[in-house]
Amino acid sequence: MKNFTTSQRLWFYRILTLLVTAILVHLLAVWAAPRLIMQVLMHGPMAQKMNMQNQAAFPEAVTARSRSVVMPSPDLLYSVCAFDLSSGPVRITANPVLKNYWSIALYSANSDNFFVRNDRQSQGKPVDLWLVSDTGETHNQNIPSGAEVVVSPSRSGFLLMRVLTTDYAQEKSVVEPARRTLVCSKA
Amino acid sequence: MPNQAHWSARAKRIGIAALLYLGAVAVGLGSAYWVLKKAAWMNPSVEVGAWRANMHAGSLDAGMYTRATVAVNALLALGRDETMYFVATRDDAGHRLQSQCNYRISGTPPAARWWSITAYADDMFLFDAPNGKYSLNGSTATLNTAGDFSFTTGPVAQGESYWLPTPGRRGLLLTLRLYNPEPALQAAPQALQAPSIQRIGDCA
Repeated sequence: MKNFTTSQRLWFYRILTLLVTAILVHLLAVWAAPRLIMQVLMHGPMAQKMNMQNQAAFPEAVTARSRSVVMPSPDLLYSVCAFDLSSGPVRITANPVLKNYWSIALYSANSDNFFVRNDRQSQGKPVDLWLVSDTGETHNQNIPSGAEVVVSPSRSGFLLMRVLTTDYAQEKSVVEPARRTLVCSKA
Repeated sequence: MPNQAHWSARAKRIGIAALLYLGAVAVGLGSAYWVLKKAAWMNPSVEVGAWRANMHAGSLDAGMYTRATVAVNALLALGRDETMYFVATRDDAGHRLQSQCNYRISGTPPAARWWSITAYADDMFLFDAPNGKYSLNGSTATLNTAGDFSFTTGPVAQGESYWLPTPGRRGLLLTLRLYNPEPALQAAPQALQAPSIQRIGDCA
């Protein structure tokens, strides 16, 4: 560097700063994108409207007007719940009696799918889960012995229940009660 | 006067530095958007015919880029032991899918408990289909004597064929979902018998 002029050295450091800043902003944006999207999903206008904080909500059947989450499946009926474990466990129960596929999936605040229970796995038995955070909260001690405990990697997250319906108009009387068996509540 | 020149030069340097920082932020954000929306090839994926799948979608093993790409393009995906997602943005000839073109999609029902193929516009949402048909699935598909399904997408129906309308002039993508795929297919996604996507005639 000793052969360079002061001006050349100044521009070298400016360009280096530019590159480092661009790389850091890029990495931060990629890291933050799923977390921000989940925050909007759990606390944004649609979540507020549906009142889904630690309680189940039941969006309308998917149509071309469904524009809150990308790539909605028109063959599924959804139930949702945004859970918050900061003040204790959340209990999740459901008993959809259906011949077709259904599942309950749990997503952490960074969008990872950390748990799934489907109809085959439940073998006709009702779902009863106690969702706790992984920070070892003392109020987790209230969980009854023998209960099925699921540990969430984050204090908040999202539950998505999928119920297969190939013809909603015809199957409405069966699939609507089934998806509305979902209960998501502070324990 | 020298003092004024000094301050003028200093203001100029600060202005240049601020512009550089703004430029760097713009480059960082722009490159992140480009990677997540336009450069799916940067994520590890499997290609079968015209279809592509990211095997780490919905997985706890997903890296930072896969997690962000899935959140942006297919939020709340499931892991491949539960559901596999294959996406096609091009036909068998390699041409980008367009809503104003008609396509015939045909193939053998995949090795899964249940499957569906859905047509989405390039904004990742459903087309405003006048007949209310957005997908063909394992329950609605009629199989021919060889056990194959077939349907069409496009602006107009093609005879008696099952039709997914794609009104407008924009990009089109097809998503093949496999619920509870067979273990052999989970282990070797390349073994999928990929549905063919062939353009019918000229585009509108």
